[in-house]
Amino acid sequence: MSQTALYLIAGLALWLIGLHGLIVQHYALRRIIALNIMGSGCFMVMVALASRVQPPDPVLQALVVTGLVVAASASAFALRLASSGKPEQDE
Amino acid sequence: MNAALLVLVLPLSCALWLLLLHRRAAWLVLLVNTLTLLAALQALRSVLQQGSQHLQLGGWDSPLGIGFSLTPLSALLLVFSALLHLLVSVYAARSRHSQTRDSDFWPLSCLLQASLAALWLSTDLFNWYVTLELLGLVAVALIIIAGPRAHAAALRYLLLSLAASLCYLLGVALIYGEFGVLDIARLGEYPFDSRSSRVALWLMTLGLMLKAALWPLHQWLPAAHASAPTSVSALLSALVVKGPLFILWMLWSRLAPADAAQQAGLLFALAGVAALLAGGWAAMRTPWLKTLVAYSTVAQLGYALLALGLLLHWQDPGLSVALWLFVLAHGLAKVSMFLAAGEMQATLGSRRVLALKGATQTMPLAMFAFTLAGASLIGLPPSGGFLAKWVLLMPLLAEPQHWPWALAVLLGTLASAAYVFRVVVLSFDRAEPIPAGFSTDRFAQWLAMLPALVVWGLALIAEPLLRWLQEVPW
Amino acid sequence: MSADWLFDAALVGLLLMLALAALHAPRLYTSVVLFIVFGLLLALAWARLGAVDLALAEAAIGAGLLGAMLLAALARSRQPALRKQAPASLVGSALLGLLLLALLVPAVLPLQQGAQPLPPAVNAALDSSGVSHPVTAVLLNFRAWDTLLELAVLLLALLGVRQLRPAALATAPGWPLLEAWARILAPLAVLLGGYLLWRGSHAPGGAFQAGALLAAGALVLRLAGLLPPLRWHYWPLRLLVLGGLLLFLGVAATGAWFGDGWLVYPPAQAGLLILLIELAATLSIAASLILLVSADRQELDS
Repeated sequence: MSQTALYLIAGLALWLIGLHGLIVQHYALRRIIALNIMGSGCFMVMVALASRVQPPDPVLQALVVTGLVVAASASAFALRLASSGKPEQDE
Repeated sequence: MNAALLVLVLPLSCALWLLLLHRRAAWLVLLVNTLTLLAALQALRSVLQQGSQHLQLGGWDSPLGIGFSLTPLSALLLVFSALLHLLVSVYAARSRHSQTRDSDFWPLSCLLQASLAALWLSTDLFNWYVTLELLGLVAVALIIIAGPRAHAAALRYLLLSLAASLCYLLGVALIYGEFGVLDIARLGEYPFDSRSSRVALWLMTLGLMLKAALWPLHQWLPAAHASAPTSVSALLSALVVKGPLFILWMLWSRLAPADAAQQAGLLFALAGVAALLAGGWAAMRTPWLKTLVAYSTVAQLGYALLALGLLLHWQDPGLSVALWLFVLAHGLAKVSMFLAAGEMQATLGSRRVLALKGATQTMPLAMFAFTLAGASLIGLPPSGGFLAKWVLLMPLLAEPQHWPWALAVLLGTLASAAYVFRVVVLSFDRAEPIPAGFSTDRFAQWLAMLPALVVWGLALIAEPLLRWLQEVPW
Repeated sequence: MSADWLFDAALVGLLLMLALAALHAPRLYTSVVLFIVFGLLLALAWARLGAVDLALAEAAIGAGLLGAMLLAALARSRQPALRKQAPASLVGSALLGLLLLALLVPAVLPLQQGAQPLPPAVNAALDSSGVSHPVTAVLLNFRAWDTLLELAVLLLALLGVRQLRPAALATAPGWPLLEAWARILAPLAVLLGGYLLWRGSHAPGGAFQAGALLAAGALVLRLAGLLPPLRWHYWPLRLLVLGGLLLFLGVAATGAWFGDGWLVYPPAQAGLLILLIELAATLSIAASLILLVSADRQELDS
């Protein structure tokens, strides 16, 4: 199994772990962590695809940098929204 | 193309200047919205005269750069969003009961307008991801203007919206992995037969259906739209959910191979029928007024989904006319309905449907606006909603094997009629009308009626409009 | 099995285990710490795959700033009652996950042979782009519109937080070791950030990484109590936050109406324009991130 294939499958696994966590967990903080893991899985698929060619594909790397900043900003907002007001027990 | 770029630049720079100068100048936003509407009309005119236009950003040819495409549909959508923004901004500025007059609604609504323009014009799959995130974030920021009570619904919307974006992004990654390009025009030339491309298409569809609140992924919408301030609910239901719908339509009509489209079309059409019935049923049973209007959005999106499904199932591009007419008519009617509901809610002092008892006596103008809007949503002639339904029904009634779908449309009409009449009948109950807790604001009620009058006015230009829409290359 | 493959397999295995552990740890604090470790190892994975810009961004934003925000959010909330998840439902969802994985993997593996027309196109156009690092060229020239919208996303997140009117977090007063350390780290952060920004034109680096590093330096100062309150009221701060987007939009619009087109850089000045845009963007990103992470209603209200 080549390096690309290994990271492609790992990326999918991370994406699914994140999705599973988002559906199953009730506490907002854990759901945001799950979302970030899901995002990392998606980015790993993209970076693995970028590594198919040497030097790695700059377009995919640029897309992932953009995606990372967008996802991080949105997570930051979600975290602030989740921790505002009264602390919640569950959903 | 410059006019379309103005539609992008004007609201964006207005928002930035408002934030920089730290002012909440509603008059500036109204001025910019008017100018944007004029620019959008100019863009529409240039498309009608010269045909579709294309621009490569940065001067880099596809597939290296990102492209903008001004087609008759995107020009029409630019005009549509500019018009609705103007109407809602006037209401937000002038209504006595507006929660948003003295808030960050002004720069945020300008940013919403710019994000929508960026979405309608773009042709790049990853660029659509960024505009979808923009839309989601601005929508949540607008919802929480309503205060701490809206935080729970807003958080749920945000989390689901982010998950949907990541689903969409994985699909984009798979498509890039297979074909190496992101421009939708280029991708249309490749066959989407492999397993990877089909899985990618379904991943993107799941993400987009969740963002557009299409049944069965619609659960977040009623709470989010009902807890937002009135002007914001109007913008959300009329415009924000239509962005992902546009991308969904573009993907399936340009990229999908015929056999996959036919199977998917059947599923979409069935989901549309389910949305009509489920949304209508929930709207009939809810005790809260704004939740009723929000469920009505879920139901009406079922019509759009049904049109999309049948368009794909029978490979009949002419049904795109029905789809986009629904979007236009629904947007106008929903703005009217939300503004009227918000006015009545604020004046009569309660958020329940029962508060509208006898409203034809206490607030006749607002109730009339609500009824007009509701009539268009039901599809009574000669409103814009009826036009859209007529275009949808014509192929359904043509052949006997399509009559089950016509029956489904009829059931959907009955369901819409049920929840609209629920409110109207209650408002005619003048035995012990709920007295107005505050003085009524007549100007605001006329403002609420204006979009409903526009959607009925579509009937006046019905024939040239339909003829033009059917000639347009979809 | 070469050593390379073993290293990759170990890294991937660790990442998957950390992800699962972060989601299912009984205590929330454990989850957050495991997630920060996950972020750092992820940065290692990006470096391993040759995406150095991304590794820098992940370490600064993904592990660093997001980790700080998670800890702050944890401090603001009560620890909820621990919910024991039924083993049956865990097994059930694991099986479902494996099924989905089995569905997705055959769709993804053939992509190793997919078409790639873009890397040669980037190399061909690199000379006329104004920079010599391909990732920066894509981010700030070929796909500059995405980057402009990305700055708008960051601004929107900040505006959203402003609507929340968040309460202040009661932090412990800075102790002498923290203050001394902050006094050393903050200028280092500025130096490193400036270096990353300058380096971005010919090697991995760039505006986002530099901005995140500056924000991290500012955050350390803040925790030590050495940073003055950042009031939104104060126009230089607003100018810092909005400057990147304003400059970018100005360049785009000037090009559209007085130049060759929307976001078209004249070839002779492309390098200089990109540097200016990146400078303004770095300051904007740093200011937005520090406000996003740590500002409270007293600072954000008008």
